[in-house]
Amino acid sequence: MMGATIRGNCPRRVLALAMVVAALLVIPGSTSADDRADFTTTYYFENRRGGLGGLQVIHPQFDVGVDIGEHVSLAAGYSADVVSGATSAVYSVDAVSTATEFDDVRHEGRLSLGFKGSRSSLIMSAGVGTERDYSSITVGASGTIDLPGRNTSLSLSYTHNFDEVCDRDNGMLGILERKPLTGVDPCEKENGLFGTDAFDIVGTRITTWRDIAIDTVQASLTQNLTPTTNVQVSLYGQVIDGFQSNPYRRVRVGGNEAQEASPDVRGRLALMVRANRYLRPLRSAVHAALRGYSDTWGVSSATVELAYSQYLGKSLIARFRSRYYQQTSATFFKDALLYQTESTAGSFFSGDRELAALRNILVGANLSLLSVAEDDRQVWGVFDKLQFNLKADILFLDEDVGDDQFLSSGQLLDVIVLQLGVLLSY
Amino acid sequence: MDWRSSSEPNFCSKSRPTRSAQGLLRSLMAASFLLALLIAAGCGRQAVRASEKEFLADQIMIFDHDGQEAVADEHVLSNREGSAGGRGTAGGGCGCN
Repeated sequence: MMGATIRGNCPRRVLALAMVVAALLVIPGSTSADDRADFTTTYYFENRRGGLGGLQVIHPQFDVGVDIGEHVSLAAGYSADVVSGATSAVYSVDAVSTATEFDDVRHEGRLSLGFKGSRSSLIMSAGVGTERDYSSITVGASGTIDLPGRNTSLSLSYTHNFDEVCDRDNGMLGILERKPLTGVDPCEKENGLFGTDAFDIVGTRITTWRDIAIDTVQASLTQNLTPTTNVQVSLYGQVIDGFQSNPYRRVRVGGNEAQEASPDVRGRLALMVRANRYLRPLRSAVHAALRGYSDTWGVSSATVELAYSQYLGKSLIARFRSRYYQQTSATFFKDALLYQTESTAGSFFSGDRELAALRNILVGANLSLLSVAEDDRQVWGVFDKLQFNLKADILFLDEDVGDDQFLSSGQLLDVIVLQLGVLLSY
Repeated sequence: MDWRSSSEPNFCSKSRPTRSAQGLLRSLMAASFLLALLIAAGCGRQAVRASEKEFLADQIMIFDHDGQEAVADEHVLSNREGSAGGRGTAGGGCGCN
């Protein structure tokens, strides 16, 4: 969420998580050949039209996993979003000129406990995420089973989120009278995680926390078709129940600038089919994926993705990727000009540009350097496999409505994503 | 222009069906059902022998082999698109984990 800088107690949580990770690393006798530690940092940079606004995100991730005996594994992870930039405060015809600067930090930690059998596995996981104006607790479980012959794998996963978002307390005001949250409004928490209402000195409630419950289920079937071809079919469903507007965003509706109003319930359904084919003479593989999506807000989308992986020598892998995405708009989303001149489409209105009819094209490349131990000799220290990844993606964004001021930057590149990762197995 | 009247929400509008993407979703569901039927019929069990899984075990054949990259990718795209989720499950069908 957008807002001011993070509260001062976050470093303590980071330290606590680091201690858990350290404890996992030093569990006596727990290491085996499958233990691993991965570290990846992603840098995201987005241009905005006229040089106004723009967004920069640094997203470090650290995960470590250890086996405890043959059938049990433990894993822990930490990631963060360090966000800075500027965004439009008001969804209106001249929104770009209303860009206001913000910065925020989001921390997320996760733990999982896994059980592995000869043909099946079960993982139970839990995670917490916190930022100034949002907190999230996630619990989940996933199971995988290989059918006889080990050519078919079935996976099923479920997660539930107990989320809370800080909002301005608008009491019983009508939807066109509601005021947005601002970066200086207090968003208080107990124990750094559970939101509590904030009051001014005369006892008037300033902010409150609104619940969001998210149930997510995914089922996948992975099938070997030939010695060089495999496919996967995944069905995904999600129900989000709770406050889903951006509490900071205003929409100009006629002469009003009200906090945006989104429906409280959103149901999502997606289906993906993807396949890999290994090309023996070239030591390469082609990858294809097709995804369809529909939700109860009226957003439907289609995604087509093609990629190609190529071994260069023994230890270098290059991957090239292209992806096309197109979606329809939510039924209540309108161009800013139409909100101002025609009013809303029903009882909801939003300035969320991701709810507009839009398309984007992604092209990218990835280079991986592999070093694998041979003849019982480690590749580096205690590690028997080392992999460095370097990745660059560029995104071209295009909005189908109005003057396209919210997505396309009007510059050569709209978004650049750079990623550097190190994967260690020991 | 009468801003007061134009600012009244229109509670009577109805949702528009989005036929092209929904049609694709139906086609995908039909294709998935067909694939599931083929597997249920037993063709999946004998598809590949254990001795033939060398290439399926190669990391470039494993879906989302780098889990962190997959998560970061989903993170970026879900914040720039209105349709999150449904990416799939990591792993391969080699049965050699």
